[in-house]
Amino acid sequence: MAYTNKMHVIYGDGTLGLGGDNFHYIFSYEKGGLESLKLNGKEWLYRVPTPTFWRATTDNDRGSGFNIKSAQWVAADTFSKCLNDQTDLVVDDRHFDHLPVAPETNKFTNHETANKVKITFTYETLTVPATKVTVTYVVDATGQINVSAHYFGHEDLPGLPVFGLRFIMPTLATGFDYEGLSGETYPDRMAGARHGKYHVDGLPVTPYLVPQENGMHMETEQLSITREITENNADHSTKPFSLKFSQADQPFNFSCLPYTAEELESATHIEELPLARRTVLVMAGAVRGVGGIDSWGADVEKQYHIPADQDIEFSFIINPAK
Amino acid sequence: MEAEIKWLDDPETFRVNQLPAHSDHHFYRNYAEWQQHKSSFEQSLDGQWQFKFAQTPQERVKDFYKVDFDASNFGHIEVPSEIELSNYTQNNYINTLMPWEGKIFRRPAYALSQDDPEEGSFSEGKDNTVGLYLKHFDLNDELRGKQIRVRFEGVERSMYLWLNGHFIGYAEDSFTPSEFDLTPYIQDKDNVMAVEVFKHSTASWIEDQDMFRFSGIFRSVELLAQPVTHLEDFTLKPRVADNYRDGELSIDLAFAGEQAGNVHLVVKDHDGKALLDETKPVTKKVTVEPHEFKDVHLWDNHDPYLYQLLIEVKDAKGNLLELVPYQFGFRRIEISPEHVVLLNGKRLIINGVNRHEWDDHRGRSVTMKDMLSDIHTFRENNINAVRTCHYPDQIPWYYLCDQNGIYMMAENNLESHATWQKMGAVEPSYNVPGSVPQWRKVVVDRARSNYEFFKNHAAILFWSLGNESFAGDNLVAMQQFYKEHDDSRLVHYEGVCHTHDYSDQIPSLNKGNYLPQGETHDYRDELSDVESWMYLPPKQVEEYLKNNPDKPFMECEYMHDMGNSAGGMGSYIKLLDKYPQYFGGFIWDFIDQALQVKDPISGQMVMRYGGDFDDRHSDYEFSGDGLMFADRTPKPAMQEVRYYYGLHK
Repeated sequence: MAYTNKMHVIYGDGTLGLGGDNFHYIFSYEKGGLESLKLNGKEWLYRVPTPTFWRATTDNDRGSGFNIKSAQWVAADTFSKCLNDQTDLVVDDRHFDHLPVAPETNKFTNHETANKVKITFTYETLTVPATKVTVTYVVDATGQINVSAHYFGHEDLPGLPVFGLRFIMPTLATGFDYEGLSGETYPDRMAGARHGKYHVDGLPVTPYLVPQENGMHMETEQLSITREITENNADHSTKPFSLKFSQADQPFNFSCLPYTAEELESATHIEELPLARRTVLVMAGAVRGVGGIDSWGADVEKQYHIPADQDIEFSFIINPAK
Repeated sequence: MEAEIKWLDDPETFRVNQLPAHSDHHFYRNYAEWQQHKSSFEQSLDGQWQFKFAQTPQERVKDFYKVDFDASNFGHIEVPSEIELSNYTQNNYINTLMPWEGKIFRRPAYALSQDDPEEGSFSEGKDNTVGLYLKHFDLNDELRGKQIRVRFEGVERSMYLWLNGHFIGYAEDSFTPSEFDLTPYIQDKDNVMAVEVFKHSTASWIEDQDMFRFSGIFRSVELLAQPVTHLEDFTLKPRVADNYRDGELSIDLAFAGEQAGNVHLVVKDHDGKALLDETKPVTKKVTVEPHEFKDVHLWDNHDPYLYQLLIEVKDAKGNLLELVPYQFGFRRIEISPEHVVLLNGKRLIINGVNRHEWDDHRGRSVTMKDMLSDIHTFRENNINAVRTCHYPDQIPWYYLCDQNGIYMMAENNLESHATWQKMGAVEPSYNVPGSVPQWRKVVVDRARSNYEFFKNHAAILFWSLGNESFAGDNLVAMQQFYKEHDDSRLVHYEGVCHTHDYSDQIPSLNKGNYLPQGETHDYRDELSDVESWMYLPPKQVEEYLKNNPDKPFMECEYMHDMGNSAGGMGSYIKLLDKYPQYFGGFIWDFIDQALQVKDPISGQMVMRYGGDFDDRHSDYEFSGDGLMFADRTPKPAMQEVRYYYGLHK
């Protein structure tokens, strides 16, 4: 392709591809999200990122019955329902009424370019009643992605365990570096943390006797996840490569573990967890506190709840910089 | 006298031929021994013992203590250790209910009726496992020809002792030392000691602590020889004057053996300067009248300054018979007229933890290494206080707390949770000790032992009557014991809050949740110097503090650190800034109770908790509420504790 400062736009029949010097992204119209995030030839996604609503029940959540009261968020977390007909695409100033596939795309070439692409996916939660979540990716010509997610509050739903976006990466990270707060932090347990730059080796699961929500990092400015291997059979390199996240308007919260909330939830001991083979990154817009008054009835203090009837919006940036 | 198994069923028989409790001092032959921390008056019996396990009292070998007994089919066990952790019998973790829940119907003797002795309840108990221990030993040369006693530092739960075929005595109270005089039957060589340890007795009702339920000789055993004249006991009364600058010290000493020679007492400061130097003739009781210490160096968490007391016992010719070194501190705890707890005239704030003795391989048979590690963790994380939940700890722990300025709430070995709380409801119909007359002496004895052994430790600011045992006249008797013997410390007990109507003080609390149904005597003014609750949410704590608090307030347990927890601590800590009557609390708790075992599936070393040994009924993962994982690595919440406990150091 000829030299250009713009990104390459590939109008597929089930996907939209976006390419640049060192990045290539594929948005799937059918899977409902970003299917491929490739930087310097390395794939970063195992499946499309999905909204996440569940955290593995903590002992305090179990004691207060929060897991029972909010049980329907497990289903919403486990199964993701994308309303594909509502996916919204804007390429530069052009707003598509519906997703462009053949024959209407027959007029395009392999030389389509753009400065900015915005694509929004809409999800319906598997709750009763249902509500909606939108996830918007805004990609610029350098490959920088601004990701934002919006939860639409609904007064008839139970309190949320978490609200975020879950990224599953194909192989296990060797570690991560972040700028933010020391240790494992939650909204009601972060006063003792010190701000700084930290390196974490591997993806440690905090070994609570019964596996449960763990590893949250509040108020983070930068995050870089490092892997060494891919699942590409033709890629034999073990040279480390990284993916960087940074804050948009506000610091973000994240956890980076080898397991999903459902996997953690299924185990009653650490050794029952499956062999660690993937990287599960949760970028959390709202985090529920852990509580501590007691473990047999007292709820987390109210100011650390995530009320379901209010909208939640958060965003962060994925940097393709070398 | 012969041993009788029915003592297991009788709450009024809890010590037979035991020597009286006394101060926990070491004694040495000379200064060189003290420097090497090795007393030639002492001979350890720790190590391999011969051992036979029996599933029930009826199945035990009954004549194993006889000198001609053939023990060739006995196995071995390490002393100290937990029998369960040698896999003779099942591990079990249970919180509030009795360990026989759902298996055996029992009621405490005399609890429902004065005509109900519950004969055979434990002596015929199908769940009452028995450990038979045998130890052959020769006396060290230095011990021969002297009065010899044996000290069992901790045995769960009821033990019978024989030496060379003779019955010596019987002891309960698993967590305080039990001593017996062996002199009449001891030989220089070829002694055989026999110990029969029952897992259950009436003591089980009052040792219903939230813990793994173990049995066995789980703390050290040693022989102690005494010189012809021996300092059996002493009581130090270091007092701080009203100006909080000067002090005075009085000492009461009690001697055993020959009343001859002199006792020479010296108190030195850190510079080696002698501030007291007195010599008195040895009599049964010797008193050192109050001696003034001008500009005394006070002891506290920041500056745990200890004075060195040296007591030399000398014979008539002036030869040193024994040397007793002891470190003590000057500090003063009191409650101001404004109901504020003061230490050395300044407001005291407890940044505390509850600490069970725990080692993930050894159970409650903790080691010196464990203790040193815990003290280090305390210092590192601004933890300034410990509640010895819910029993007295190993003796060295008290010395470590003195030396490191850790404020202690020294709790008795008492919890009878199952007898008064059923599925969360306060239901004390068969509560013991309560006011049941037959259960009085046993609990007062526990108070006495706790006091007598540990009375000279500067670190102890509070005596605690016990944990979660409801209230009654027998607890009042324990409180009175402390009040009669010790005016230098406060007395704490939380369970009394279940007898008092708090409608005026904490209006938002639902009475049905903390009071029993029907009438109950209000013990609030008879049982505790401080208002103590557990897990009271911050809002209710504030209600109490706002409503003209007539006692200082603390949480003897708060911040339940089970799993991923310890959130919202700031809501408690900020109350310290608003209310001087609030003096902090003890986090529940310091370390997870979990056992490290090899997982047969993965081959990894893994943590096991309640229920993981097919033990039913169990309270499962409730055994893990610590700030530390069971292997003594801190949980992530520790940085939060370090921060908040650092705000009011």
